[in-house]
Amino acid sequence: MATIGHNNLNAKLVLLGDMGAGKSSVVLRFVKGQFLEFQESTIGAAFFSQTLAVNDATVKFEIWDTAGQERYHSLAPMYYRGAAAAIIVYDITTQESFSRAKKWVQELQKQGNPNMVMALAGNKADLEEKRVVLAEEARTYAEENGLFFMETSAKTAKNVNEIFYEIAKKLPRAQAPQNPAGMVLVDRQGDAARASSCCS
Amino acid sequence: MIETELHDLSDDADYAASQQQGSQSITRSDSGRRSEPEGAEVVYMKDNVSIHPTQYMSERISGRLKLIKQGDSLFLTWIPYKGQNTNTRLSERGDSDRNNLYTIRPLPLTDVRSIRRHTPPLGWQYIIVVLASGLAFPPLYFYNGGVKEFLTTIKQHVSLVRSADDANVFIVNDFQDPLQKTLSSLELPGVVSVAAQSTNASLVASSSQVNQGRSDVSSYDSNTGSQSLRRQKNKSNDPTKDLSIQVLEKFSLVTKFARETTSQLFGENSGDPFLSNEWKRPSHSQSLPDLQSQPSTNDLEEVPCEVPVPADPMEFEKLALVWGKPRQPPMTKEEWITFLDSEGRVVDSNDLRKRIFYGGVVHELRKEVWPFLLGCYDYNSTYAEREYLRSVRKQDYEIIKLQWQSISPEQAKRFTKFRERKGLIEKDVVRTDRAFSFYDGDDNPNVNVLHDILLTYSFYNFDLGYCQGMSDFLSPLLFVMEDEFEAFWCFAALLERVGPNFNRDQSGMHAQLFALSKLVELSDSPLHNYFKQQDCLNYFFCFRWILIQFKREMRYEETMRLWEVLWTHYPSEHLHLYVCVAILKRYRNKIIGEQMDFDTLLKFINELSGQIDLDSIVRDAEALCICAGETGEACIPPGTPPSLPIENGLVSSQLEDEVL
Ligand SMILES: Nc1nc2c(ncn2[C@@H]2O[C@H](COP(=O)(O)OP(=O)(O)OP(=O)(O)O)[C@@H](O)[C@H]2O)c(=O)[nH]1
Ligand SMILES: [Mg+2]
Repeated sequence: MATIGHNNLNAKLVLLGDMGAGKSSVVLRFVKGQFLEFQESTIGAAFFSQTLAVNDATVKFEIWDTAGQERYHSLAPMYYRGAAAAIIVYDITTQESFSRAKKWVQELQKQGNPNMVMALAGNKADLEEKRVVLAEEARTYAEENGLFFMETSAKTAKNVNEIFYEIAKKLPRAQAPQNPAGMVLVDRQGDAARASSCCS
Repeated sequence: MIETELHDLSDDADYAASQQQGSQSITRSDSGRRSEPEGAEVVYMKDNVSIHPTQYMSERISGRLKLIKQGDSLFLTWIPYKGQNTNTRLSERGDSDRNNLYTIRPLPLTDVRSIRRHTPPLGWQYIIVVLASGLAFPPLYFYNGGVKEFLTTIKQHVSLVRSADDANVFIVNDFQDPLQKTLSSLELPGVVSVAAQSTNASLVASSSQVNQGRSDVSSYDSNTGSQSLRRQKNKSNDPTKDLSIQVLEKFSLVTKFARETTSQLFGENSGDPFLSNEWKRPSHSQSLPDLQSQPSTNDLEEVPCEVPVPADPMEFEKLALVWGKPRQPPMTKEEWITFLDSEGRVVDSNDLRKRIFYGGVVHELRKEVWPFLLGCYDYNSTYAEREYLRSVRKQDYEIIKLQWQSISPEQAKRFTKFRERKGLIEKDVVRTDRAFSFYDGDDNPNVNVLHDILLTYSFYNFDLGYCQGMSDFLSPLLFVMEDEFEAFWCFAALLERVGPNFNRDQSGMHAQLFALSKLVELSDSPLHNYFKQQDCLNYFFCFRWILIQFKREMRYEETMRLWEVLWTHYPSEHLHLYVCVAILKRYRNKIIGEQMDFDTLLKFINELSGQIDLDSIVRDAEALCICAGETGEACIPPGTPPSLPIENGLVSSQLEDEVL
């Protein structure tokens, strides 16, 4: 959940999507500016953090990168519980990964934090010649479901920072007066003093 | 999505038959009713329900299993008989402590996720009760039968449905919606522990005390929580209420509760033998040299403590000094020869395993030695026999491989499972250890070999299929064995042991994480209590360690060294769990001092990758294992992977069944 300390916002973000869609690659590009051709599969989950400056405030993303294989699905709620934002990643070169992304959207709509900011990322946009999922199709789906959509490439860095930046802008700035039950506040020492500074 | 087509129990012939018998068991239990607190009714009682803490039949603990109905709630208890002394080996260590460890105090069925029934072809039926937290109790063996009645009785009081995935799994409190189910089953370990605390004392006394215990919990959170907790309590047995909201309520409460009462709880458990702070040293510990006079070799990271960190009851770092033997250089070719007789048999496999445990083997020997450690070759086999076996296995491998090689593109079009599997494997092999010279570069043929072996395995063991993490296991095996078919058979042998790590229902992982939690509880109860408060008792932060046996935590060479050490099964077949405990204990002060919560803990643990010093951790793990002794082994339910096949027919069939 997002918490505010002065002009600093902490936001838990989770990446979901089919195995090999490029979740880890997208995070790695965002956090370290790297791309590994042979990024190893994620076992269990991995955690990263990265801070972005948005206007006069900073947003510190606490990013959970999950394992994509269906068999590990049952572990996912542990990671998306209490998340303020989610990026659902699919690979534009496979239809299955797009179907899988839709399932994740459904699950989050049912189980996730109702104020969660959700982004749909059509990754591997550099592989235009292998494309099977049309951008229009994905955009329509995203609009119908209240997500925002971008095609990204962890390889070329296209839209990677942008998608995080967009999420940062969309995060609710004011702390809701009471927390909906079940959400975990990212409660670190240091941002104990909370001001409800409101932007945008 | 999880396959969650659930159907009702009534389609089951077993179940229908047991419906008719159901009433008998209740009548029979009438005698037990008198001893129960007011308002509680024993609806099921079975004597001679036993657990087998170790593989030795003589160490079983028998007890009485009951289902008790109180108000709208159903509770399960299993109390071991007093004064059992079936086994002389244990007599000097006090059975009561051991029995206490296993006692199931009144456990509300609302805390149970599923009950798995096992019916081995030989031997007794047993059940495994899996909690909503993901933890599980050790198997309960029904020496006098009664599993059906047990399930029937539960079914009469709470919702029980059979899982479509596995006909022997009965899901309690299923919410129909798979997502709600995972939510409740995975997110709420704290709820379980709080509930368990509050009900621990309950049925022993009166029903009003149960309520008292509950409101004690809510009083910790007098601002916002008590109201909703009470509400939730009333709802808890009403399946018509919206359970997901209830679950979320519980969750927020517990989180808050844990945060606010961190310090209060530390002292709280000292009176409970189950949570005893005392580390039980083996009796020979008296002969230890004076620990105080040892020079301090505490190489633990000193951390600025933000909270007072409860002392490690084991004085762990000193312990390793005394118990863990110095590591040795790896076994050489010359040494290896001395273990063999003229025809190539290993004369004393115990000695050999011990030697390898303390130092591993030089790399050149791995190709020869690993197949023994993995059980591919019998220690008693001769050179000639192994040569013959090799040729047979080479053919066998080719035959299995042909099964998928002969699938034409036309056939593949109509074979979704095959295409899916091949797809998963293709995605994974190209990103398995590609930075390591053996697999690096474009079009590296070894990558294709990985692919072929994994696909062949997924036909050899079609039920298990392919799962992420398998390529991590295979990669060093192929690097060492070089030959495709030999790597395959080593891989297959390894998966006989660690295959359950990949079970769809995560049962193999749950079993190991449960055992790990028991071992931490035994060897460092303050740390255990800390995890409990932080809602971390599911130990999922150790998931990667266990799933692929530390493969991602160490450099390639170190992984190979650790694996051969673990595979000796020398001090324990579950040494990997002691390795986990050793690492956790090494960082306990940092973990508690910095008040790491689940997120921070997982991040911290993932980032330990590359920083674990193999030799000292193995030494610590050995020390822990020796100190824990049989009490430690008793923490690990039989059948917890990687279980060794056992000669004894009865036991082995049960373990095989377990692996399903
Ligand atoms: N061409 C191209 N390849 C990519 C891109 N993003 C990821 N990849 C490749 O796709 C493969 C899988 O990427 P990962 O980031 O590991 O995928 P993941 O979603 O994290 O997969 P799991 O951890 O298994 O769930 C790797 O080989 C990446 O190099 C991209 O934008 N373009
Ligand atoms: Mg990944």
